[in-house]
Amino acid sequence: MLMCRDLARIASDYIDGELGTSKVMSVKMHLLMCGRCRSFIGSLRASIELMSAHSSQQLDEDLVRRIDERVSESLNARNSGGTKPE
Amino acid sequence: MGTATHHPDEDILINGLKSGNQGAFREAVRLYTPGMMAVARFYLDHASAEEIVQDCWVTVIDAIQTFEGRSGLKTWLHRIVANRAKNHLRKAKREVNADFSEALDPDLAARFAPNGRWATPPSLKSNESAQALMENGALSDCLDQHLSALPETQRSALMLYEAHQHKSDDVCNILDVSASNLRVLLHRARQKIFLMVETFQETGEC
Repeated sequence: MLMCRDLARIASDYIDGELGTSKVMSVKMHLLMCGRCRSFIGSLRASIELMSAHSSQQLDEDLVRRIDERVSESLNARNSGGTKPE
Repeated sequence: MGTATHHPDEDILINGLKSGNQGAFREAVRLYTPGMMAVARFYLDHASAEEIVQDCWVTVIDAIQTFEGRSGLKTWLHRIVANRAKNHLRKAKREVNADFSEALDPDLAARFAPNGRWATPPSLKSNESAQALMENGALSDCLDQHLSALPETQRSALMLYEAHQHKSDDVCNILDVSASNLRVLLHRARQKIFLMVETFQETGEC
């Protein structure tokens, strides 16, 4: 029988739909009977959403500026004498 | 294999890059650099990763002409970074260090009784939406701290899978890990974030 610790070990696989049918059934059975694991799965899901919402915001402006400068230099060198970029 | 389905905006961007348009490059740099850094940081320290990513962008100026759209632009860029980072690693005769042996985070494992049931059950309230939680600036800062504290391998796997929404196959390919090892990296990272959010909601402290 699937114990709470076993479920915690495969919780991400369950959330991402990476488990086989029989494993999914035993997780669902366990979740029916175990409020603590339901809460764990719900919270893990919330943490995943939080992560996705958060990390898409990160941008290192200083690095972006340095890249822009290098790209711009290379483009100008390449385009000098050719068509002028915007 | 046919060409990948692109967002129409991506096609416009690709055309801009192919014609050497500076505005298109600026847009692409803003859009794709965070993901490229996540790839590079899987293999390299921060300074080397920044160097590799900068070099990649310069390479892209010419290489974009050979881009045929078999994959999305993002995947293509991530593969370029991965190849360069791997070469860099080979030259430095180093290897990626990652622990794939245990899927359960030690801090979470400690919360189970010997019989496998919860001894310290989760106390997190999951009814708040991610967006509502993100509006809490202190939580956002705390998340930053914890993300920085993750092992690079876990963080890169998490970023590519979660934030950049690559398919598992792509992440495995880019990071050179097996599917099962990717699952371990992802799950370990997610548990750390779960534990952090739980502590934050409980105590208001990071």
